Amino acid sequence: MATMKNEQLKIIFGDGTLGLAGDDFHYIFNYSRGGLESLVAGGKEWLYREPLPTFWRATTDNDRGNGFSKKSVQWLGADQFIDLEKIALSVDGKRLALPLAPENNQYSDHEFAREVKITFHYQTLTIPATEVTVAYTVDAAGKISVTVHYQGRKDLPELPVFGLRLVLPTLAAGYEYTGLSGETYPDRMAGAHKGTYQVQGLPVTPYLVPQDCGVHMQTKQVTIARKTVKNNADQSDELFYLTVRSNGTPFAFSCLPYTAEELENATHQEELPLPRRTVLSILGAVRGVGGIDSWGSEVEPAYHISAEEDHEFSFDISACSAK
Amino acid sequence: MKAELKWLDDPTVFRVGQLPAHSDHVAYLNENEVQKQQSSLYQSLNGEWKFHFAKDPTARAIGFYQKDCDISGFDSIQVPGHIELADYSRLHYINTFYPWEGQEYRRPPYTLGKGQQPGIFSAGQDNSVGAYVRNFTLGPQLHGKKIRVRFDGVEQAMYVWLNGHFVGYAEDSFTPSEFDLTPYIENGLNKLAVEVFRYSTAAYLEDQDFFRFSGIFRAVTLIAQPAVHVEDLAIKPVLSADFKSGSVSLALKLQQDQLPAKVQIKIADLSGEQLIHTEQKAVSELEFKDLEIPNVHLWSTKDPYLYQLEITVIQADSEQVLEVVPYQFGFRKIEIKNKVILFNGQRLVINGVNRHEWDAHTGRAVTQADMQQDIATMESNNINAVRTCHYPDQTLWYKLCDEHGLYVMAENNLESHGTWQKEGGIEPSYNVPGSMPEWKDVVIDRARSNYELLKNHPSIIFWSLGNESYAGDNIAAMQAYYKSVDDSRLVHYEGVVHERKYEDRISDVESRMYASPADIREYLENDPQKPFLLCEYMHSMGNSVGGLKSYIDLLEEFEMYQGGFIWDFIDQALFVKDEVSGKEVLRYGGDFDDRVSDYEFSGDGLLFADRTPKPALQEVKYYYGNDEK
Repeated sequence: MATMKNEQLKIIFGDGTLGLAGDDFHYIFNYSRGGLESLVAGGKEWLYREPLPTFWRATTDNDRGNGFSKKSVQWLGADQFIDLEKIALSVDGKRLALPLAPENNQYSDHEFAREVKITFHYQTLTIPATEVTVAYTVDAAGKISVTVHYQGRKDLPELPVFGLRLVLPTLAAGYEYTGLSGETYPDRMAGAHKGTYQVQGLPVTPYLVPQDCGVHMQTKQVTIARKTVKNNADQSDELFYLTVRSNGTPFAFSCLPYTAEELENATHQEELPLPRRTVLSILGAVRGVGGIDSWGSEVEPAYHISAEEDHEFSFDISACSAK
Repeated sequence: MKAELKWLDDPTVFRVGQLPAHSDHVAYLNENEVQKQQSSLYQSLNGEWKFHFAKDPTARAIGFYQKDCDISGFDSIQVPGHIELADYSRLHYINTFYPWEGQEYRRPPYTLGKGQQPGIFSAGQDNSVGAYVRNFTLGPQLHGKKIRVRFDGVEQAMYVWLNGHFVGYAEDSFTPSEFDLTPYIENGLNKLAVEVFRYSTAAYLEDQDFFRFSGIFRAVTLIAQPAVHVEDLAIKPVLSADFKSGSVSLALKLQQDQLPAKVQIKIADLSGEQLIHTEQKAVSELEFKDLEIPNVHLWSTKDPYLYQLEITVIQADSEQVLEVVPYQFGFRKIEIKNKVILFNGQRLVINGVNRHEWDAHTGRAVTQADMQQDIATMESNNINAVRTCHYPDQTLWYKLCDEHGLYVMAENNLESHGTWQKEGGIEPSYNVPGSMPEWKDVVIDRARSNYELLKNHPSIIFWSLGNESYAGDNIAAMQAYYKSVDDSRLVHYEGVVHERKYEDRISDVESRMYASPADIREYLENDPQKPFLLCEYMHSMGNSVGGLKSYIDLLEEFEMYQGGFIWDFIDQALFVKDEVSGKEVLRYGGDFDDRVSDYEFSGDGLLFADRTPKPALQEVKYYYGNDEK
């Protein structure tokens, strides 16, 4: 496991970023880019771009038939673009003003803390807009606890999904998760069995028309295994791992080589791009798939996601070079 | 007898020179052949045939069936198979619209107060024609016997010649058609010629939601008949009121030359213990009545117990065996009591699925391996019933269902969706078969063929009159036909919900498709008159099958809710070589420049088109297993 020996977290007060480091990890939050830009453990980068809230799922046949995607189309835009409103920082529980230059001149190359929390406040580009916050709490061991909060807002259409999307730089070799067998959704998970499952590669369920797929409900933990990096100076092909753990309530996730938008735009499986990245979506709320018919019937009401109510979920991330 | 092109335009002409439908038993020359499951009385004509394709009737190969006609310019084609999958004609998928939507203006003959429509199909520019030729020499075992040819499935209309002589015409694409070849068979090489038309008036009755194919897509077989032959066999097992004992009556139709013969009947249980051994002199109509079976072992889905009947035809003077016919039958009872369907005295619960015949490489030309795999998938996922949507399947399917214990809803080859439902609305102004006398015989014939062929299968518990064809006198007449010949099964039809004045004459059950759990509740809480089932529900298109629990919960709550058949078993999509990557990929409607199309709408199976399960199958397995626990 990662560097439990750290007692203190090293803080690098950069000119536009906040670096947090320990013996075996190094994380960088970027203020202007609005998120966690780099998550390195064991010398391996885990992020391609900053994680952002996700709201869209590639239209399922039933979504198309009952017009859900049209009713909720604002969330497609919101999934692709979002405004950063502000960033809040606290170190060892003490609130700090964002240490931008020259404010950060007061610090040294010896800054330590037991725990740092940085919260990104986003504003959705919906009408009306609402706020989503992503709060990262990093401890001395390098564990990142993430809490994602959606503020309910009247007059917004139902959400297709609500989660945090992490795009990893290369294709994963596979993943292992503890949760339910197979692909599950809130209205289709009674037949699943609890267990720990190994998945080779990043299979996309080959629905005739590519659509949302690969969701795993009620997950306690998922570990992604990669072999490849984009770092030209690193030719190793040893596996390395990133684990997302529930810190209370189980979460849902999908781990695919595509974003919702990439899936959305293909009319056949063979039109999907060559897989080259890993899109890990940690989901706090998932809409049911429905099934009565494919030309109008709604998903049962219990499996909708109201955009008028608050939603929140949280989980822990830790990365390590050995499993 | 002369072949007439105008038959294509006439709904009153649908079989010419065709032998009457009969039971699907297999005859063997002797007991040894029965043991080996290899009959020398059959000769397959599957394989390579000579073929000529014409885009319309004016371009067809006139006279190609003549014995001396030079067909050296013909191509070759594999039988069974679809003309479209051999790339002569465009692949096309469309759901409810007729396949000529936006291409040709047509109204069915005798609708809208009009009469015949000469040339509607015989001069149709979209009515492509396949000319098939197969030269064959009779195998030695078939020599000296009467010879017939059986086509198990040809879409949609065909004319047949042997050695230049016209032997008959048939429609009804999904039902075997047999023709007697005996008068024209020659020693040495024989020329069998078949002219297959894409459309006839049968097209109006075959508007199923599927890829629209044409051609000889099921097996073709020569069949030799011994001098005395069991032409038809009707097995009537009857149970006592307490289900403890049973008796079986057999009615045989024999084809008999002047040869005196006797017919021996043996019935054994599964262990081989002989229960019945009797014989009678062979006459053209022969009955063995009320053969008693004590301590009867019932057939059920959990224990599909079959008794072994063997009929042996023996020449009277020489004691020589002429023919042996084995058949497996079962004892079970289906009935409605207090508005609840009972099976062997217990409430029936259907955990069913609709199944189209489908193979992503060969379309509806499915193999025995496909069928066996489908049976295994159903068994391992607690599926206990199958509706043969929307046509009769290959006969082997019903035998497998008997053996493996699946309830079958045996549906007729009838769907006229495009004649009454337009863009979502019900508009039956030119509905067929409706109540027009000219469209009656053709649908009765379909009902009769379905019954006569399949009547001995214990797995069949419902006859289904067809799918989505609205309701009128002719569909009521189909039900009357079934009621007149069969008191051991129920009759099902959904379309009467759109025309409730036929309610008393059509369907023993209230059948719906895609009713929501709330709709079902509403029916069942308001003085329901018939037991309720869903002939189609839980549309498994793409990533779907959410909310199954709400349907399963109704089973607990309402005795008269008896379950349903999920739509459907397997995605209908075709493997095609991708023009960009060169890889084999799955394609659907609209991918072949086929317009008008319904695109991916045929991708609604619990399995992907390559027969791998969709993720939703584990949910089905769970809820369908509920009543077993």
